[in-house]
Amino acid sequence: MPLRRVYLDNSATTPVDPRVAAVMSRAVVENFGNASSVHGFGQQARAAIDRARREVAALIGARQNEIVFTSGGTESNNLAIRGICEAATAHGRHIITSVIEHPSVAGVCAELEKRGWQVTRLPVYGNGIVGIEDLAASIRPDTILISVMLANNEIGTIQPVNEIGAFVREKRTAGHKHLWFHTDAVQAAGRLPLNVEEIGCDLLTMSGHKLYAPKGIGALYVRRGVRLHGQNVGGHQERERRAGTENVPGIVAFGEAAKLAREELEQRSLHDRMLRDKFEGAVRERIPDVVMNGDPELRLSHLSNISFRFIEGEGLLINLDLEGVAVSTGSACSSGTLEPSPVIRALGVDDERARGSLRFSFGKDNTEAEVDYAVEVLARAVERLRSLSPLTLVSH
Amino acid sequence: MSYSATFKEHLAHPRNAGELPEANATADETNPICGDRLRLSLIIKDDRIETARYLAYGCPPTLVCGSVLTELISGKTVAEAKKLIRADLLDAIGGLPSRKHHAAALAIETLNKALEPQMNTD
Repeated sequence: MPLRRVYLDNSATTPVDPRVAAVMSRAVVENFGNASSVHGFGQQARAAIDRARREVAALIGARQNEIVFTSGGTESNNLAIRGICEAATAHGRHIITSVIEHPSVAGVCAELEKRGWQVTRLPVYGNGIVGIEDLAASIRPDTILISVMLANNEIGTIQPVNEIGAFVREKRTAGHKHLWFHTDAVQAAGRLPLNVEEIGCDLLTMSGHKLYAPKGIGALYVRRGVRLHGQNVGGHQERERRAGTENVPGIVAFGEAAKLAREELEQRSLHDRMLRDKFEGAVRERIPDVVMNGDPELRLSHLSNISFRFIEGEGLLINLDLEGVAVSTGSACSSGTLEPSPVIRALGVDDERARGSLRFSFGKDNTEAEVDYAVEVLARAVERLRSLSPLTLVSH
Repeated sequence: MSYSATFKEHLAHPRNAGELPEANATADETNPICGDRLRLSLIIKDDRIETARYLAYGCPPTLVCGSVLTELISGKTVAEAKKLIRADLLDAIGGLPSRKHHAAALAIETLNKALEPQMNTD
């Protein structure tokens, strides 16, 4: 175990906020009642869920009865996409999504494709952002769902969701009644100010563990009046959208985390941006031949995705881990088959740049001293790996 | 994925990295599927591998296989080195997940390529 540990993988998951953990442990003990029970114990649990639902709704400017609690982002995305598609088969079987979606959206779309739905995947440009004109060109009379993420999980680029929402509204006004817009906001919720009315989405996915709540709890915003085909059946919970006894401690924790995120959003965002900019500045100064991936402005303030030329990301990741610095890579190499990150490849870059990319994601608990340490370790590791690389022979 | 302590040690402290300008046996092989690349340069004197250096690009197992291979072959005769197989390398590393065995295959292939002309002169 290294002497020092620095966690720079806050996009993968965040540490649980001790304030959230305290509220949650009280709920585990005190709110054990089944929220569906009529007696006092049940009603106490129901009241705790209602309070949490209000907080989660407030984080995105929704009404509380538009929030469905789930087990996390993946379940929310499954419920949103399958739920709409299976409820709207009479109106069409065409979905528009993007090439940079999280696997929990991409995978559901691919599965529906096998079952007879047609899927159009919008490209992104070199900056990692989809073009609204490509969306307009892809729309068909039988399009029922547009699912485009709010901010990307690997490069942090913010997609033009407000424009997509406006486009959907326009189409509806023009007579395309059965068209819905879903956005996966797992990376954005708690990091960007969000308002479902401004976005104009019908469904929005959130996950607790990306905003300092524990794993196993998430939510789906479902605009009032939107019909979903439930994926978990056999109970009346969550307005028939998600059967199963509610995870009261998880919901309470998510509610507390959402409240803190709303109250501290601005200061967290400034803090993350300060660390990220300091980190990127130092990397540029200390390490030659780096490429920053994704739009420099239109991206989440806590995230930095960098390609280190002539070397491969996983080796760099392990070198950093050996010195206590935790980051992540989107690429994988298995069975002799190269699988560079589909997101970085979608930017139109070559395999070498895609393979050499790492994601650094900062959080509210990181410090400037941690950034300094991470840059020191990173500069040494890059130099060491480059001294091994035959690719540097022709390039230098 | 968990790698052995030996593996991590080699990744953090690669042995025999570099090139030998005065090498009399070299090979530079690339895995055509994943793009991993290994470059080996050797000084062979009196039929014995006196010095070995490597350069590698690719996933961590490829980097580590290069490092471990140079340790295994240093001081060996050409005939001894030629007998090395993938399993010897995997043992020396402390094992690799089966989907990463291609890294050991690339290392042995590069070694054999470098030693080919030596064997032909026997």
